[in-house]
Amino acid sequence: MIKSQYKSIGKNIQRRDVSGKIKGDSQFCADIELKDSISLKVLRSGRHHAVIENIDVAEAMKIPGVLKVFTARDIPGENLMGIINRDQPLLAHGKVRSKADPVALVAALTDDIALKALKAVDVTYTDLVPLLDIEDALAENAPKIHEKGNTLFTRRIIKGDAKTAFEDCHSIVEKQYKTLAIEHNYIEPDAGAGFVDEDGTLVIYASTQNPHYDHQEVVNMLGVEESRVRIIQAVTGGGFGSKLDLNVQGFIGLALYHLKRPVRYIYTREESYLATAKRHPFIIDMKTGTDKNGKLIAIKMRACCNTGAYGSYGIAVATRAAVHGTGPYQIEHVDLECSCVYTNLTFCGAMRGFGTPQAAFAHESQIDIHAQKLGIDPLEIRIINGLKKGSINGTGQKLTDSVGFHDCLKSVKPYYEKASKDWVKQKTSPFIKRGIGLGGMWYGIGNTGVQNPSTARIEIDLKGRVTLFTGCADIGQGSTTILSQIAAEVLGILPEQVRMVVGDTKLTANAGATSASRQTYISGNAVKDAAEKLASVLLTAGVNKLKVSKSMLEFKDHCIRVSGNPNKSVDFAWLAQRIHAKGGSLSWQGYFDPETIPFDPETGQGTPYSTYAFACQLAFVEADVLTGEVNVKKIVAAHDVGKAVHPENVIGQICGGIAMGVGFALMEEFEFGKTESMKDYHIPTCADMPEVIPIIVESDEPTGPFGAKGVGEPALIPTAPAILNALNNALGKRIYNLPANLERVLKASIESGHFSPK
Amino acid sequence: MVNIKFKINGQKKALNIHDDMTALAVIRSLLKLTGTKEGCGIGECGACTINVDGKAVNSCLMLGAQLDGTTVVTVEGLAAKDGLAPVQKAFIENHGVQCGFCTPGILMSVNALLQEIPDPGHEEISKTLAGNLCRCTGYSQIFTSVKEAARLAGQGDQHG
Ligand code: FES
Ligand code: FES
Repeated sequence: MIKSQYKSIGKNIQRRDVSGKIKGDSQFCADIELKDSISLKVLRSGRHHAVIENIDVAEAMKIPGVLKVFTARDIPGENLMGIINRDQPLLAHGKVRSKADPVALVAALTDDIALKALKAVDVTYTDLVPLLDIEDALAENAPKIHEKGNTLFTRRIIKGDAKTAFEDCHSIVEKQYKTLAIEHNYIEPDAGAGFVDEDGTLVIYASTQNPHYDHQEVVNMLGVEESRVRIIQAVTGGGFGSKLDLNVQGFIGLALYHLKRPVRYIYTREESYLATAKRHPFIIDMKTGTDKNGKLIAIKMRACCNTGAYGSYGIAVATRAAVHGTGPYQIEHVDLECSCVYTNLTFCGAMRGFGTPQAAFAHESQIDIHAQKLGIDPLEIRIINGLKKGSINGTGQKLTDSVGFHDCLKSVKPYYEKASKDWVKQKTSPFIKRGIGLGGMWYGIGNTGVQNPSTARIEIDLKGRVTLFTGCADIGQGSTTILSQIAAEVLGILPEQVRMVVGDTKLTANAGATSASRQTYISGNAVKDAAEKLASVLLTAGVNKLKVSKSMLEFKDHCIRVSGNPNKSVDFAWLAQRIHAKGGSLSWQGYFDPETIPFDPETGQGTPYSTYAFACQLAFVEADVLTGEVNVKKIVAAHDVGKAVHPENVIGQICGGIAMGVGFALMEEFEFGKTESMKDYHIPTCADMPEVIPIIVESDEPTGPFGAKGVGEPALIPTAPAILNALNNALGKRIYNLPANLERVLKASIESGHFSPK
Repeated sequence: MVNIKFKINGQKKALNIHDDMTALAVIRSLLKLTGTKEGCGIGECGACTINVDGKAVNSCLMLGAQLDGTTVVTVEGLAAKDGLAPVQKAFIENHGVQCGFCTPGILMSVNALLQEIPDPGHEEISKTLAGNLCRCTGYSQIFTSVKEAARLAGQGDQHG
């Protein structure tokens, strides 16, 4: 093995925040104790679609201990939220569009009083026709949920001439796939707290993936100066996309603005289920055609996702589903379309993968069906079609570097071949059917075809201590640790010597959202840029002192020294003082915005991402044809992450993504109106988990920090496709609707003739 | 209202509490030991796991009144002051923590397990942790951490 040239990158250092978490000292929002804090509760509409005729709060206000009942009228600024399209009021105004819509906000001395007050608020509604699925919402005379109509957005990607190309295809497969809503189910229910500080600033602790966005929304909502609001990201217990939208920040802001006393709002699990974003349910019609050798020639996709009452990240979800519809394969003729439609369900938003997991279920099923029809091995057909350096994707973008898909396939190959020969064939009980299946994936890092910069600031003080300021929210994935490694690598110090100030809008610069697997790549680059600027001024000062050229100097142990010569060195403190004395700056800002080219609005051609992650997973499953029970025994997961800055973190993401993928494949199903508590919704426990063999593939990305790309979402995407393909292999019958729950598996095994009830 | 007396993390407590208060509320709201988490309140997630007389218990399902006469350990009491218990060390070193919200509950389940079975196999760990949900890790590094914790504890590494 070649010894790494890096000192911090690639090292499994201790997580920055682990000590508090392991001792129980870390303060999540619900743990923050503010003296005499009052309680907030939201009255939700409880009806799908209705006009609000009147809200009478008089009775509620009479209850002792009720401080105020707020309605939309009390919002001094703009009563609209949304990171992409602004369509969601904090408190309903004029009408309600889902059962979860907040109608009034009660502030009271205790939770119990607040709950009592909710019951006393009298709202008069006139119901409108509820539109609960895509078909209803698109029906000709359907009422409009929002003024602009019920189709929020459509993305088209068109390259070549798919229609004509299908005529010459040897194998054509055309199928419909359906996926359901999924609950993020982070273990920390949403919560927040806040107070007004001595300067009159509204300080809000939030469980969030994007503190700087929260800040803009609260400022906007209250119509106050930016400096009047400060968002501090508390220790955050997971997000997976849902905590990109505001949960309680707006309510806390509104109460602080009017009442000026400490407040706290902790969602019950039930409220978190009811009111926060879900994964978009999809209907995907996909048609693909190959030549007689299995080479994909053309693809047509018509997909539609149900975004519920509000857009949230729906436009991004539809866009990603369209772009990623081809899968990690080169296809010359492309005709992809994905729409996003409003209905009267709780809104859907971002969830790990933004529509790509849904699209991957379709494209990975399709390619396996082709393989079967043509008598080609599933691995072989992926090798034939897989993107490689120089390939052109569906948006007309040429992939020039770091295209590790074939390396992922190669890594999985020995496991695949062995399993096909042995494991699948081993004798089991006659009612247990074994199968293996592959799932491939590609994933664009960062937001799609739009600017999505990150900034970071690094400072050195006169004692030579380095502090990194970043708005990048660590929600458990470990970005704070990663960013400290990147800064440390540049400056030749230890990661733990980099003091970290994270996610506090008063102190940090905007790093954008912790989403789209973008923080390592984008914020990592911003941190690297800042650290390099600081390194450069330190070096210049070092040159003056040590009288040798920059190229002969190196960073070592908080010093700059002549390469290899410990006796000719000067420490950071001296350098910082020197720079300061000369009027130089000790604080440097870094910036990075990946190069993208916006889509052509008609054809969707462009450069949506500057780099992509790739992966292939292999699933081993056993299906019990008597009960429909599926046991995922093993998953081999090869992931091209560019460079693993912290390999154990990468493995953590891979294993966590697989767990979520197992849930998506086999058991998770959020039924609006029925799924109320954790009793009704099952995520994988440790007993549901397969053995995972993670394989990290490093295909250096030249524009990435030390070659890194990302892994958070890619980890989940191939899992469900691999499991579903393995199930087909086991049963000889394919399932087109997720989840492949007991009933569906049982039905498939009956239809395949494996089991017939007498 | 009811009077209860119990020992928690080595300290004796005498409290007068509401009849319907849960043990979790006693611990978090009255005693301000916020290391123990509430993830669901209905016994599904295990985030609220504490040890009562050496057994792992979902404190959201237990009445505060039932604490009377017991000896309780929460995550704050796992280690001797300023040190780390073997199980805590093992979770740090084997990357068993991501967001950390499930962590206190998992540590307490493991703590009770290791007291009962010092060298648990995969099945025993799996059975114990099936009541503790984690949405971040996929459990793999948690299993490694538990096995390492058993090894460390077996070596008599008590309080770091
Ligand atoms: S909070 Fe007790 S089990 Fe979830
Ligand atoms: S580490 Fe986040 S829930 Fe377990």
